[in-house]
Amino acid sequence: MFIIGMLVPNSSNVKIAMGAVVCVESDIRGDVTIGARTVVHPKARIIAEAGPIVIGDGNLIEEQALIINSYPENMLPDAEDVEPKTMNIGINNVFEVGCVSQALKIGDNNVIESKAEVGRNVILTSGCIVGACCAVNTCEVIPENTVIYGSECLRRVQTERPQPQTLQLDFLMKILPNYHHLKKTVKASSTPARS
Amino acid sequence: MATLLQPEKVLYLVRGEKKIRVPLSQLYFCRYCSELRSLECVSHEVDSHFCPSCLENMPSAEAKLKKNRCANCFDCPCCMHTLSTRATNIPAPLPDDPTKTTMKKAYYLACGFCRWTSRDVGMADKSVASGGWQEPENPHTQRINKLIEYYQQLAQREKLERDRKKLARRRPFMPQAFSQHTIHVVEKYGLGTRLQRQRSGAPISALYGLSLKEGEDQKEITIEPAQALDEVEPLPEDYYTRPVNLPEVTTLRQRLLQPDFQPAGASQLHPRHKHLLMKRSLRCRKCEHNLSKPEFNPTSIKFKIQLVAVSYIPEVRIMSIPNLRHMKESQVLLTLTNPVENITHVSLYTCEEEDPDDINSTAKVLVPSKELVLAGKDAAAEYDELAEPQGFQDDPDVVTFRKSNKIGFFIKVIPQREEGDVTVAFKLRHDFRNLAAPIRNTEEVEATSEAIWLTHHVELSLGPLAT
Repeated sequence: MFIIGMLVPNSSNVKIAMGAVVCVESDIRGDVTIGARTVVHPKARIIAEAGPIVIGDGNLIEEQALIINSYPENMLPDAEDVEPKTMNIGINNVFEVGCVSQALKIGDNNVIESKAEVGRNVILTSGCIVGACCAVNTCEVIPENTVIYGSECLRRVQTERPQPQTLQLDFLMKILPNYHHLKKTVKASSTPARS
Repeated sequence: MATLLQPEKVLYLVRGEKKIRVPLSQLYFCRYCSELRSLECVSHEVDSHFCPSCLENMPSAEAKLKKNRCANCFDCPCCMHTLSTRATNIPAPLPDDPTKTTMKKAYYLACGFCRWTSRDVGMADKSVASGGWQEPENPHTQRINKLIEYYQQLAQREKLERDRKKLARRRPFMPQAFSQHTIHVVEKYGLGTRLQRQRSGAPISALYGLSLKEGEDQKEITIEPAQALDEVEPLPEDYYTRPVNLPEVTTLRQRLLQPDFQPAGASQLHPRHKHLLMKRSLRCRKCEHNLSKPEFNPTSIKFKIQLVAVSYIPEVRIMSIPNLRHMKESQVLLTLTNPVENITHVSLYTCEEEDPDDINSTAKVLVPSKELVLAGKDAAAEYDELAEPQGFQDDPDVVTFRKSNKIGFFIKVIPQREEGDVTVAFKLRHDFRNLAAPIRNTEEVEATSEAIWLTHHVELSLGPLAT
């Protein structure tokens, strides 16, 4: 039986580094690597359909955020010239509640605010802020320190990049384990994994 | 279904200076004149000023002094959102011991929407949480103030001359009112708002004498005419060839919100104090009674006096529209709601052939000929499950349902045109008991309010024809 559009994910291969806090209720499918000090809230979804996702350190992925590496809409999953592209996400990014990110390359210190949508062909460099409910579907590289805001997605450049959310991350890493079960971390080196 | 509840589909006609067609929710009802009033046929008066973000009340004189701006709150020059004050810890040398550093709080302004900060324009962080921010000085302030004073004096002089002429012509016992013309002159340069309220009957001779005296005492203010310069600063040489740095260019809106400076570059956009909002009260122009008077407290949304039309006039709403076809009769279901507590009798009439109010209708309408009776609004009825059935005999062809103070009824619509939206109009006649009438000292305490019959012209827009 052949199912179009909904592939059976290649064996759920999630590598979670030490120090990351990933709640069990989050939905992670496919080949996903999560860096240290990253917090993934319950009900966040990270889906690697069309290729692996590599997430760096210090990221904050809130509830109902969707990070998806999916096939472009007009391509069938079994077309010959599809090669899996890796989605790279840098460090200290914030994916706020309900955002949708399909961008293949995200740098550092970016903030994607609530209910924002970032398309597949967008490349976020560093310090970019995509405002709440802004949908960025263009095919471009967003320059550093750009703020996209407003119902018409106006842009401006800010002089300083948003601060990394260290306080918030520390707080969450202490509090979340009190209320949620966490996914097991896997150490990439030879020493045995600590549960 | 939600679209049918939209009140813009049902318009009531207001017969004021202009004929205005507006939904009932936007109208007021003067119960002394027993007429509908819209926003255009009432006079608006300022009640109080307040800041929309810190909700601080300000008396009108103080507001005028501060140019209608709040002292504490700022607007983002980039997106016009309200700025919030944020604090950071910066290391600063102790005053006693320059070698040691201690963490001190520094405050800066930041916008939560577009992430603009006061550091973007070079404003240094302040050590005080509020009150430390200064607006940049306009270099032309002095000249402008001098010009304003001169023109105010000129206007006052003109007004006095005009009144002197009137005084000479008129007889002494006629009121020497400030004519409409002089009021405009006074308003021109914002001299005094109190003078506008004078009605022709009020005795103002005392005030008149005062202003004469003031005029003579004031010294002459002279101004120099503006100097025209021959030489203009030349444009920089690379003006045409230099690539434009788009993020640095301000938008027209950002520029014009600061008319003193109108900066072309984003690095000169300073925050402005927030504009004050005002509460206004409305007054009927004919009988001078207040129609709407809000409470003085900015945090309160209630009204001291609220004579809105929806609480006096039965409201017609469209409940369902069938497929409308050209020259075919269809039934449209409408609802009538009774806002008052006593029983209301409503009759509907079609508009006459040459009715001057009936300009928009594109279909013929047949309204029920019998009188419709609406029960009074009973606030406790919704909690009473065992409500007794109301003893009204309803014609089932006309009235479909009846629920406390609401009935649903049919009207028959025959669209006359092949294309376009279908609009119908009819007259609504209902009885109104005027509770504002003074209580008479007769034996009948309850029957003091007499019913008067009011007629309104209602227009419904029923949407396009079914294809």
